[in-house]
Amino acid sequence: MTGWSPARVWRSRIHRYRLIAARCTSCGRAHYPPSNACPYCGSRSLDNVELPRVGRLLSYSVVYTTPFEDKSRAPIVIGLIDLGVAKLIAEVVDVTPEDLEVGVSVEAVFRRVSVDGSTGLIVYGVKFRPRREG
Amino acid sequence: MAYITGVGLVNVDRHYDKGIRGLAFEAASKALDSSMSSEVDFIVVASSLSYLQEPQLDLASYIASSIGLRGARSIAVESGEASGLAAVMTAKTLVESGVASRVLVVGVDKVSDHPSWRAYKHLSMLYDTESDAFYSIGLGGVAGLLMRLYMHVYKVDRLTLAYWPALMHSNAKKNPYAMLRFSITPEKVLEAPPVAEPLTLLDTFPLGDGAAALVVEGSPSRGALAEIAAVESATGYQSVALSDDPLKIESLEVAYMRLVERTTLESIDVVELHDSFTIMGVLELETLRLAERGKAAEAVAQGYFSVGGGGPVVNPSGGLKARGHPIGATGVYQVAEVALQLAGEFPGLQVEGAKGGLVVSLNAAGSSSYIAYLRSVR
Repeated sequence: MTGWSPARVWRSRIHRYRLIAARCTSCGRAHYPPSNACPYCGSRSLDNVELPRVGRLLSYSVVYTTPFEDKSRAPIVIGLIDLGVAKLIAEVVDVTPEDLEVGVSVEAVFRRVSVDGSTGLIVYGVKFRPRREG
Repeated sequence: MAYITGVGLVNVDRHYDKGIRGLAFEAASKALDSSMSSEVDFIVVASSLSYLQEPQLDLASYIASSIGLRGARSIAVESGEASGLAAVMTAKTLVESGVASRVLVVGVDKVSDHPSWRAYKHLSMLYDTESDAFYSIGLGGVAGLLMRLYMHVYKVDRLTLAYWPALMHSNAKKNPYAMLRFSITPEKVLEAPPVAEPLTLLDTFPLGDGAAALVVEGSPSRGALAEIAAVESATGYQSVALSDDPLKIESLEVAYMRLVERTTLESIDVVELHDSFTIMGVLELETLRLAERGKAAEAVAQGYFSVGGGGPVVNPSGGLKARGHPIGATGVYQVAEVALQLAGEFPGLQVEGAKGGLVVSLNAAGSSSYIAYLRSVR
């Protein structure tokens, strides 16, 4: 995503860089990215929980229809990742799509997410890559 | 009570020669002419991409004035891809509350005005920009991973899922308002260029412009095409990742439960649903329990949802896949098409003797869902 304001990127730095989810103190469920209320029970009583950095790839798509700024990176792999206490959708990197399969173990890596032209913001965040054996 | 007394449709296409106001004018004029009166006391404008693409804010006022309705009350409804049906819900509420007696609903969006790479960026904003769309999900990233999950969980092969677009193209052939009026084989779907694997170009809607309009009245003085018996909706998770069961569209399930509490669905003969991608059409059929879970694609392949099959005829218009999907206008097209079906006046594939029909519209993978039941009055 490009076109974000610097303030918006700055506001989300903590949870994006450190994978901080919100955990509901009423129903106990976690969600990411953290909202102001629990998406499951509606409670506004939440605390923070750092997500595990290793999970399982539940599914993925290999995306060719990307915006212009990501054209050179296409195809981009988008994965549905289960981190145990919460699931999330994120980009999967360091892999050729043909080598990927449902169920593989993946780990979080810190990466550049978008570059807004030559004068705009460079946004960073967490992506995932298949976990190396051993 | 709310009735549809006029409809106006513009064929979905790349209308490079017409702007958003020109398309809205064309649809609105047809709807007003077909309702035999140009009086309108409220206009509800449904549009979504135009706020990013034109870009134009306060669209309802500018459209109202530019199509000769200066002075009318106006309001704009933006609910992403579900804007059209959300606008119809608004119009129904306006006439039933007595705030208005004749409401014009106009849905309009131009999806082909910009280069496709920019359209993909705009379309990705239909998804949650705080989560899924923070990454470069493009046009179909989320739908693509849902399709792979569906194939994996239910052991359904890619070819079985290709019967959906083939049926949609077959249905659209006689629809004068459809963008893609040619046949394709399921095999052809697999050979098409990838969009978001396992989805190919033929699993998704063409980028086309369109406008559709309806006249909605509380107590029509002349004959109506159909009654809008009920419209319901529900909001859903911001991302399918939050759902315990991503293959069920929870917002649609809730909206449907609310619909059956509100009205009796005497007969479901025709359904116009939201097949932005093949997988979405399949998941909607299963969420509405028109097919068993994991079995909808097979039922489509066996002709269950075709004319003369055992189930309701699904998307006789050709659906989003082949009629086209001018984002904010689509729900208005769907309601107009079902109304014409129930009046026995649909100019394409007419479902003979249809007494009742469903319209399903949702945004993204179900951030919100809307569902309507229309009843024949003839």
